Amino acid sequence: MTALLTGVGVTAYGRQPGPDSVDWQVQAAELALADAGIEPGEVDAVLTGYSTVAGHLMPANLFSERFGIRPAIAFGLSVGGATGLAMLAEATRLVESAAARHVLVAAGENRASGQSRETSTRILAQVGHARYEVPLGGTVPAYYALLASRYLWTFGLGPEALASLPVQMRAHASRKLGAQFQKPITVADVLSSRPVAEPLRLLDCCPVSDGGAAFVVSATPTSERSLLVAGTGQAHRHQHLSAMEPGGSGAVQAAQRALGEAEVTWEDVDVFGIYDSFSITVALLLEELGLTPPGRAGAYARAGAFEVDGRFPMNTHGGLLSYGHCGVGGGMAHLAEVATQLRHERGAAQVADCEVGYVHADGGVLSAHVGVVLKRVATA
Amino acid sequence: MSEPVPDWTAGEPVLFVTVCSLCGTTWYLPAEHCPVCGSGDHDVRAARGTGLCVAVTRVHVRADADDGVLCLGLLELDEGPVVMGRVHDPDLAAGDRARIEFRTDGPDGGLLPSFARQD
Repeated sequence: MTALLTGVGVTAYGRQPGPDSVDWQVQAAELALADAGIEPGEVDAVLTGYSTVAGHLMPANLFSERFGIRPAIAFGLSVGGATGLAMLAEATRLVESAAARHVLVAAGENRASGQSRETSTRILAQVGHARYEVPLGGTVPAYYALLASRYLWTFGLGPEALASLPVQMRAHASRKLGAQFQKPITVADVLSSRPVAEPLRLLDCCPVSDGGAAFVVSATPTSERSLLVAGTGQAHRHQHLSAMEPGGSGAVQAAQRALGEAEVTWEDVDVFGIYDSFSITVALLLEELGLTPPGRAGAYARAGAFEVDGRFPMNTHGGLLSYGHCGVGGGMAHLAEVATQLRHERGAAQVADCEVGYVHADGGVLSAHVGVVLKRVATA
Repeated sequence: MSEPVPDWTAGEPVLFVTVCSLCGTTWYLPAEHCPVCGSGDHDVRAARGTGLCVAVTRVHVRADADDGVLCLGLLELDEGPVVMGRVHDPDLAAGDRARIEFRTDGPDGGLLPSFARQD
């Protein structure tokens, strides 16, 4: 049995007051079902990501009632930023095991306008250890800033070493409708933006957004635009920064499991979506995955390696750093963008001749990892 | 489940590490089994409290209402594990040898590990 990604839907991300979390999930689901060309009644399983604003115990049931469907299977999932890809992996298993024919995966949150920045910062900081880390007063940016400080010291680099990554993401977003930030930025802009948790500055950090994203995973293609979910892989090696093995967060294990299942190597991958909650996040992931040498992710960005026509075309929608981050939907936009590339529907920002894509997301502090390989059906 | 030994989180000025009796892996945060070999047989030992500072951050946007800058660091203990703590020595930087002091800077006057350059 195989599983196909038949539909994707991503709303615009940004500060867009009005809709609540479930409203965003509904908007994204409408887009994904229309993209797949199926009716709501054909969905027999629903997977929904958590929303920090809604904070509901049963997000998939909440969504299904509001959307107006009665699936045979429904459950919520929660592995931080990796949730969207983890849901895709579960959807794939449901389809492969013939438990479902069409699985709808939905996420959305009014994270920017539905809660204050202070509340959002405090809720997210709880990924730290309640007894050994949270009392120290850290935040998610602070935890990643510690990783950034260690990284820069390890490789003898200055803060400018990471700045080219957000600059590249912004250049991509300038060519993507719906991105939260589109005005091009420079390395000097990153370095002069206000410090959040040094060495990370405002432009090293993704924004908080309102928006939603959804996928449809099906047992058979619904059109020639359907893509094969060729492989998924996960790794969960720690929750807290104080338990993380330096250089061994689990990214490699997740990727190797996904690549192995898809029977491809990095040489075969044409387009990438790599989680970029902070400049340091994407640098560490790229280097752990072995795509760039240790300490060189920023230098590769400066050399154009992640451009549409570069060696590793990556996050061509602008990533979390510039398209935006509405919680679980944030990491799903990477997969939707890679799908659009593989369908050869990305217009002026199309990666030439792409056949195979790889998407990677992490949750917590590089705690939960999920990798996904997508292929054009003709390639498979 | 093993009985927790009172440490800095319980107001005792000490930080423990746990050593796996089977494979020697050493870790910091409480865990019932060795994350490497799975053994449940381990010893809890007081850390010497010295190590190498591998990261420092000055946090400007804080989780609490305080406007001041908060300084945090990572200390790689001589025993191996990495510990997160406050940094009260303004000159401490990654690459410096450092030691842990326990200060009553925590919520409600609780103890927190804080790092300074080693004399």
